[in-house]
Amino acid sequence: MNTITTRAPGAPPPDDHRLLPWAPERTGEHTRPPSWEAPPRERRAPPFQPLRFLALPLRLAWRQLRAEKARLASAIAGVMFACVLVFMQLGFRSALFDSATALIQNMRADVFLMHPLTTASFKPETFPRARASQALALPDVQAAVPVYLAQASWRNPENGSKRAVQLIGFDTEAGVMDFPGLAPLVDTLKRADTVAFDARSRPEFGDMTRLLKERGPFEVQIGNRMMEVTGLIEIGPSFGADGNVVLSEVNFRRLIKERQVSAVDLVAIKLKPGADLEATKRRLAELLPRDVVVLSQAELVKWERDYWEQATPIGFIFAFGSLMGLVVGMVIVYQILFSDISGHLREYATLKAMGYTNFFLSRAVLSAALILAVLGFLPGLGLSWLLYNQVGQATFLPLNMTADRATTVFLLIFAMCGLAGLLAMRKLRDADPADMF
Amino acid sequence: MRSIESAPVELRDIGHAYGTGELARPVLRDVNLSVGPGEIVLLTGPSGSGKTTLLTLIGALRAVQQGSATVLGQQLAGAGEKQRVALRRRIGFIFQQHNLLGFLSARQNVAMALEMDGRTSERERLERAGAMLESVGIGDRAESMPANLSGGQRQRVAVARALAGNPGLILADEPTAALDKQSGGEVVRLLRELAKRQGVPILLVTHDPRILDIADRIVAMEDGRITATEAGASAAG
Ligand SMILES: Nc1ncnc2c1ncn2[C@@H]1O[C@H](COP(=O)(O)OP(=O)(O)O)[C@@H](O)[C@H]1O
Ligand SMILES: [Mg+2]
Repeated sequence: MNTITTRAPGAPPPDDHRLLPWAPERTGEHTRPPSWEAPPRERRAPPFQPLRFLALPLRLAWRQLRAEKARLASAIAGVMFACVLVFMQLGFRSALFDSATALIQNMRADVFLMHPLTTASFKPETFPRARASQALALPDVQAAVPVYLAQASWRNPENGSKRAVQLIGFDTEAGVMDFPGLAPLVDTLKRADTVAFDARSRPEFGDMTRLLKERGPFEVQIGNRMMEVTGLIEIGPSFGADGNVVLSEVNFRRLIKERQVSAVDLVAIKLKPGADLEATKRRLAELLPRDVVVLSQAELVKWERDYWEQATPIGFIFAFGSLMGLVVGMVIVYQILFSDISGHLREYATLKAMGYTNFFLSRAVLSAALILAVLGFLPGLGLSWLLYNQVGQATFLPLNMTADRATTVFLLIFAMCGLAGLLAMRKLRDADPADMF
Repeated sequence: MRSIESAPVELRDIGHAYGTGELARPVLRDVNLSVGPGEIVLLTGPSGSGKTTLLTLIGALRAVQQGSATVLGQQLAGAGEKQRVALRRRIGFIFQQHNLLGFLSARQNVAMALEMDGRTSERERLERAGAMLESVGIGDRAESMPANLSGGQRQRVAVARALAGNPGLILADEPTAALDKQSGGEVVRLLRELAKRQGVPILLVTHDPRILDIADRIVAMEDGRITATEAGASAAG
């Protein structure tokens, strides 16, 4: 009767070789007829249906959430709050880092030389001007101009108040370094005591755009000298400077007399068309002494950004702020889900008595968490977008809603709600169907 | 080979104790009980005699400690969580409280009993739930929320829910305790009628002397033991 008992040792395995050793077919248990005939309805397990697997708990969760409007509203408000907080923190963080590097980002040249100890553009270490002419030794280098940076006080022509402005002096005619809007001003900047003013400077410097339109070029006091503002460029305020002024090297020297010509802050280099940037950078690094580093513009921006991120607690402050928002949001969602479960323990236990698994109910709790994530995120996104516009206008910080950031925040909120759901789920164990009767 | 005579519930020498070690307090001793196909058995006895405990063992809501319990062909002694959950799906439970989900309509509550069955469509489930509510006499309240139903109506929904999944057994623990005399009587008579029609056996715990007449058999318990068994009024008639 039983294949196991009749099979000789070492004989090839019988048909049921795929069965585990303790399977009833092997031990012969299944030869007994079942003592209870299942009810006439077929009881075979249905095939796995992924849609039902997710959709039914989701629907149950949604119906439960929907039933208590006030609680749903407070949960959504909680998620929205976390969402807005994280959006603002990330927005400020990125805006500050962007604006910290605004000056560097708008200095457009192929390659820069900088002293390796310079940490940020507003406090540069100087190096010998000779490095610029040494760089010209390479055939791929078309031109190299020294750049001088300094701060001086600017007197607001409208109300006479003074404020420190960033001066950027270099050979504006050489066409090595460009700023947005500089090209048409090159000729006028050749004249003595002329400057170009950054139209995106903070308003405390005076409304130059309007004044220029009304009066044409006019004089302002920079340091102890009257300089003529002949046109506008676009840079934007950064951490180190609220406003910027671009002027020729000659005019820079007239204005900042104490500055030694031989000590420069940066050298901007233009390569010949078709030159290989990386190869030239390598050769420049070999050629020049160790008192300069050779950087592309992107590397220079990163250098500056790294300084603000690493040498200051700014990055940490915003990460901490975001984390707080997420923690508060998680606690709110957890509270809501937890009280939903503990307020319905009898009903959950009844479902278990009816044959619902703990796993099904866990999926329902997690679904509720994720519904809250979506319902809180969408208005949170809208509100943050409005705030970005409002706050951006008020603070002159570049707050932009990007798809990248929206995705990041959504994932954070999703994870926050998911974690709250996982924590709340533990309460389901208290729904014991044995206590139902 | 079909063993029609094998009983839906077959208990042999069931013992149960709450607590462990020194504190273990036995509440069931040597309980032998069987419920035949289609039979309606009432379980009575003073409070604390172990009736509810016995019901939770049969309903696979609690693990069997001692003895053997075969329910709808499933041996419960040593059965795992998975087998017990599977068995629960084949049993209709009616509790003292209706325990309906407050955020679902009557119809949706009944349909919950069918949602575990992967072969039915949503439309079929709602139709069947509607038909069940018709048969308990509240078809016109199918879309009402439990909060808007009377106690008797809610318990009828619970009866419809228990019967909706074509269970092999109905377990009920004092289903009339929360109802007034009249609606309590109506609900159990309805339950009896529907169960008889479907041929489903019922094991029902009650203190209520007014509903003893629905029983085929009445089993009395005292102090964890079955003390008496008598044929019910309905078995004679
Ligand atoms: N979960 C439990 N833990 C400990 N003791 C319990 C528990 N449930 C019931 N008991 C005790 O077991 C005994 C039998 O209870 P029960 O089965 O509820 O009786 P009945 O339903 O007949 O009133 C009672 O003394 C009760 O106090
Ligand atoms: Mg009881």
